[in-house]
Amino acid sequence: MELNQPKKSDSFGRKEGTDTKPTSNTEALGEKIREDVDGAEGKKNEEEQNQLEVVPDPHCDLENVSDCIDKFLSSLSTKKDDDDKENDVIPVDIPHELLEKFSDLVEAKLSKPEVDSSFLAAVSRLSKLTKWLRDLKPEESHPSLLINRIGGIHERAISFLEEEFRLLLEDSRIGESDEKGKQDHHVQTELSESIGDHEADFPGYSDDVVSSLNNVAKEMIFGGYESECCQVYAVARSNAFEESLQKLGFENHSIDDIHKMHWEALEREIAIWIEAFKKCTTVYFSGEKALAESVFSNHPSLSDSLFSNLTRGILIQLLNFVEAVAMTKQRSAEKLFKFLDMYETLRDVVPAMDLFKNECGNELKNEATTAQCRLGEAAILMFTDLENSIKADTGKTPVPGGAVHPLTRYTMNYLKYACEYKDTLEQVFREHSRLERADSTSRPSRDETKSFDDHNESEPQTPFSLQLMRVMELLDSNLETKAKIYKDVGLSNIFMMNNGRYILQKIKGSTEIHDLMGDTWSRKRSSDLRQYHKNYQRETWSKLVGCLSNEGLNVNGKVVRPVLKERFKSFNQMFDEIHKTQSTWVVSDEQLQSELRVSISAVVIPAYRSFLGRFSQYFHTGRQTEKYVKYQPEDIETSIDELFDGNPTPRRRP
Amino acid sequence: MRATDNQGSFLNRISIRRNQVVSMDGNHEQELEDLDLFQKHVADRFSDLLSSTSDDDSVLSIAWLRKLLDAFLCCEAEFKAVLLMGRDPSQISKPPLDRLVPEFLDRVVKALDVCNAAAHGVESVRHYQKLAEIVVAAFEQKPIGDGQVRRAKKALNSLMLTLEDKEGSTHKSAERTWSFGRRGAPSNKDRSTAGNFRSLSWTMSKGWSAAKQIQAMSANLVAPRGGESSGLALPVYIMSTIMVFVMWALVAAIPCQERNGLLTHFPVPRQLGWAQSMIVLQDRIAEEWKKKKEKNKLAGLLEETQRLERLGLSLIEFSDSFQFPGEAERLEEVAAQVSELSEICKKMEEGLVPLQQQIREVFHRVVRSRTEILDVLDQGGKMSAPTM
Repeated sequence: MELNQPKKSDSFGRKEGTDTKPTSNTEALGEKIREDVDGAEGKKNEEEQNQLEVVPDPHCDLENVSDCIDKFLSSLSTKKDDDDKENDVIPVDIPHELLEKFSDLVEAKLSKPEVDSSFLAAVSRLSKLTKWLRDLKPEESHPSLLINRIGGIHERAISFLEEEFRLLLEDSRIGESDEKGKQDHHVQTELSESIGDHEADFPGYSDDVVSSLNNVAKEMIFGGYESECCQVYAVARSNAFEESLQKLGFENHSIDDIHKMHWEALEREIAIWIEAFKKCTTVYFSGEKALAESVFSNHPSLSDSLFSNLTRGILIQLLNFVEAVAMTKQRSAEKLFKFLDMYETLRDVVPAMDLFKNECGNELKNEATTAQCRLGEAAILMFTDLENSIKADTGKTPVPGGAVHPLTRYTMNYLKYACEYKDTLEQVFREHSRLERADSTSRPSRDETKSFDDHNESEPQTPFSLQLMRVMELLDSNLETKAKIYKDVGLSNIFMMNNGRYILQKIKGSTEIHDLMGDTWSRKRSSDLRQYHKNYQRETWSKLVGCLSNEGLNVNGKVVRPVLKERFKSFNQMFDEIHKTQSTWVVSDEQLQSELRVSISAVVIPAYRSFLGRFSQYFHTGRQTEKYVKYQPEDIETSIDELFDGNPTPRRRP
Repeated sequence: MRATDNQGSFLNRISIRRNQVVSMDGNHEQELEDLDLFQKHVADRFSDLLSSTSDDDSVLSIAWLRKLLDAFLCCEAEFKAVLLMGRDPSQISKPPLDRLVPEFLDRVVKALDVCNAAAHGVESVRHYQKLAEIVVAAFEQKPIGDGQVRRAKKALNSLMLTLEDKEGSTHKSAERTWSFGRRGAPSNKDRSTAGNFRSLSWTMSKGWSAAKQIQAMSANLVAPRGGESSGLALPVYIMSTIMVFVMWALVAAIPCQERNGLLTHFPVPRQLGWAQSMIVLQDRIAEEWKKKKEKNKLAGLLEETQRLERLGLSLIEFSDSFQFPGEAERLEEVAAQVSELSEICKKMEEGLVPLQQQIREVFHRVVRSRTEILDVLDQGGKMSAPTM
């Protein structure tokens, strides 16, 4: 860099020193100026004096002349103070020679310019001089050529500063230096990425550069070139921001394009957006703000408006993406989660927008809130789409063996996943469903409000938990319809048990859903399950156990053997039949399976054992026993243990 | 604002009546009356817009564009009321609306992009304003000297280049003049397209074309005929036409990405009462556009921009021939031009931000309505789910 840091602060110190404490030199200068003015009367005299006294040739350098200029300027300001008091303007005589000399020297410097402290100081003097000269009344001595000359030099000098300002902004960014050797660039980026240095990601500047920028900006603004300065700054920073976003992979898509995008592509864009948005709000925006504040440290209103303008554009663009995504009609509930991810990102960031002051800040907050609302509303629509897909599942093919229906699995797994976003979904349903009803002209409130009264239970009912209830009710009634497809009532009950059990297990496995649905609801489910169990048992096993009753076997205290034979025969037949069909039935939940087997055994085995104990004696020969007493109680037990295995090939049996 | 009051009472009336009337026949009569009223209001608003061009706001001035957007917002609110309020959802999911409404919604999506492009365009105009302000600041200093002329000229050259550059066809960016006096080795960064005054936030996606977008919006815009012309197809058509017109006017006025081949005409049946003023306005804007296109100056028809351009050219001429201290007569002329320039800057300063906000408001409003219409479509016809 061409800037020479330490030297500059030196000179500023010196400059301020001369400004504030008048040294004994001031008086000497006053003398000189007076001489100068006197000299104006006789030109020859004046020249001599200048040569000899004011700017002696060997010392005729910028430094000396500058000192004189400073003294002259400070004499002006004291004079001005006096003027104010006396309310009487005393015309000041113009030190033509001094100014011309100064102009010569600065011009010489401009031919081979270098922005260092003395250059900045010279610009500052030029600015003061131009201001003073411009304020002179036209009738006063009329130094128009001089004004033109100094004005021209001033313009060139500031032009130069402007260029310097731009170069600094563009080429001294942190992370920029390694781009000079383009081959190394890739390696460097990868390296810095792997280090994961987040601070370094902000395309800012080193402290030295920032202070140079500050100095240059100060002089430009002081010289009346505020607009140019701001323009250059705004453009450079906006380009830097653009590059940062590009590096993150964020691309500007039109809403129309996003609308037509395939989900896979959109999903990628959403992930990039989340990354970019977080980066902007955690690193870039605050970085830009700090940068603007340091570069324009003396002009808070400028730094404010530069920062707002820059970030407003970026933020609105980022929010447009949200609007566009929220507008896409995602007819699939799975996509909800990406939406919720975006929603959370936005939600967590909106409070951080205090960075933006004033109206612009309010506007942006509103924009962000609006975008959040749209996402919320879209999320609700997607979630309620689950209802539609449950309603739409009207397949007439029963699941073999009464096993858990895919719809149950899908719904429950979906809910379980959704409930990982429980808090967000609660918020979404609380904030955005109400809102939608309130401000919509198109939606007469139909059944939505009703559901609040339907559940007069002790658990607190949130809009989301009500929604969840509604989904569960829909699922239940759908399952009931599906259960009726089975011709076998027992199987129908097994189906309900399987699905009910699956639902209950899923809910127990997720504290979030459990909390949402409440204990009462779970208890109700459990008792429903018991009911199915009873129904099943009655349906399947009471007939079988009926074979084992004593009734009709004893006639006048004697056992009627043909009837007994018939009983055994029909028991065997019935049991074989049950075994054959029900071992193809499916109960994959181990606990339920064993509960069922245990309860069946508890009903059948004691009855069989006692029947056998009482009546097997009536068969005399082994052959008869073998023929009618086909099973020992242990065999029955083994067979019961084979039920609900989903095993289509029934086992051997002699 | 008069129009808004109007609209409030109109909405109330519709909602009260719809709630009272149960019988289908009565409903139909009311509906016809609502439609008439809607058409009348559209006609009134556009004739107001037309007549306001004769006083101080000429067509496509910032002030006029703001009126246009106001009118759009009012028409849109009424349209939504006519289409949706208290209506049985099944009505808008039946033919021909099951086709027309999704087409309308598709237009809406495209309009949103135009809104964004126009908002970016306003940002460009703000940039012109900043450059013009530099020119004003330079020339307002007395006496005008070489330095100030140089300063003004630099800003003017940038201004003229950015004005030309906005077509997206010429990429010789303003950088060259702006970086006048640059020394040292040029940096090896690729700056071929970015241009110095373009920034990311104000560009659309690659390949996006305002002209094509407008074309697509108007492609299937056909006035309803026969029996359809008395039903809901009519307000859908009217609103579509208004939307296409407003977006087209924005694109014509404000620099937008890729306007080459912008339509100069889209069909609006001349016999329709509500469309008369709009047709006149359309012809007038189209005429201007053609003229500009012939001259190959397409920074936009925004009145303020055009004046900037005119003044800019004249001031560049002045700057080129300037020799200190300049001729008194010429200086006087310049002073007048500078004060005109300053007045334009003031107008821009006052009007551009509100215009931008208003464009944003249109954006949000249109998004909102789209959602509401979709909701009703959803309710009305779960079977014929719209693709959009």
